[in-house]
Amino acid sequence: MTKPIDMKDIARQSMSIKVESMDLLNGQIKMEAHASATYLAMASWCEQNGFFTSAKFFYKQSEEERGHMMKIFEFLVDTGGNPVSPEVADINHDYASIVDVFENTLEHEVKVTKSIHNIVKKARELGDIATERFLDWFVLEQVEEENTIRDILDMIEVTGTEGVGLQMIDNQVASWIK
Amino acid sequence: MNVIVASTYYTLYQSEKERSFYLDFGQKMVRMSLCQLLALRYKVMSIPIEDHFDGDLNKHGFEVLLLCNKEHLFVLNTYEILDLKQFVEQSFVALGLSAEAETVTI
Repeated sequence: MTKPIDMKDIARQSMSIKVESMDLLNGQIKMEAHASATYLAMASWCEQNGFFTSAKFFYKQSEEERGHMMKIFEFLVDTGGNPVSPEVADINHDYASIVDVFENTLEHEVKVTKSIHNIVKKARELGDIATERFLDWFVLEQVEEENTIRDILDMIEVTGTEGVGLQMIDNQVASWIK
Repeated sequence: MNVIVASTYYTLYQSEKERSFYLDFGQKMVRMSLCQLLALRYKVMSIPIEDHFDGDLNKHGFEVLLLCNKEHLFVLNTYEILDLKQFVEQSFVALGLSAEAETVTI
C-alpha cells in the first residue's frame, strides 16, 4: 500500500506539515473567526448600552482575533497546506450586563487556549515540529489575553456596579486598549 | 507512472516526470497537483455519509463532486463515496503526509 522507497517524494516536497495538523489548524482558524465575530457582537452590545470605551476595546479585540486567524491561514499557505475560509454561525448578541460580557470573554479565551494546547500536544505526538514551534507564539499570546480579561474582571469587582460604578468601569477599560 | 494506492473503484498514480498525481476514477483519469488532492480530501471528508442512510436528508443516495476548479464533475453513489473516503485517507498515509502511517505500520 505504501509507495516504493526509490520513488521521488513529490508530496513531501510540496507540503511540510501533516494533514492532521492542517485539519486542526483549520479548526483553529474557524475558532479565531468565531471569536472575532463574537467580539464584534459584544462591541455592538456595548455601543447599544452606553459602554462606549468597552465597545472600542471589543473592536480592537475583534481585529486582533482576525489577525490570529490570518496568521494561521498564512502558515498553512507557507507550508503548502489547504487553508479553508471559515463559516461563522451562532453568534450570541444577548448579554445580561457588562460583567456578563467580560465573563463570556474570559470563557471564550479559555476555550481558545485549551484548543491551542490541544493542537500543540497533537503536533508533538505527530512529530510535527514546524506546527509545534509555530504555535509557541499563540501559547504566550493566550496567557496575555486571559490575563487582560482577568484584570478587567478584577477591576469590575473592586469598582462595583452600584451608582456610578458602571460608568467608572467603562472608563477604566481604556487602560487595556492597546 | 507509479501506483501509490488502489481501492475497489479508484487508483492513485504519481508521475515523477510531471511532478503530479493522476487519479483514476474508473471512467476518467484526472491529473491533480498536491493542492488539488488536498482540495479533494477536504471535499470528500466533508461529505456527511450518515445522510445517505436517511431518506429525508439524502433521498437518492448520490453525491455530486466538482473537482479541479470545476473542470471535472462526478456523480457518485454511496458505495463509491464510502470507498473514496477510505481511499483518500489511505492515499495521504501512503504519501507520507498523514501520521496514520506510523500508527498503521507499528
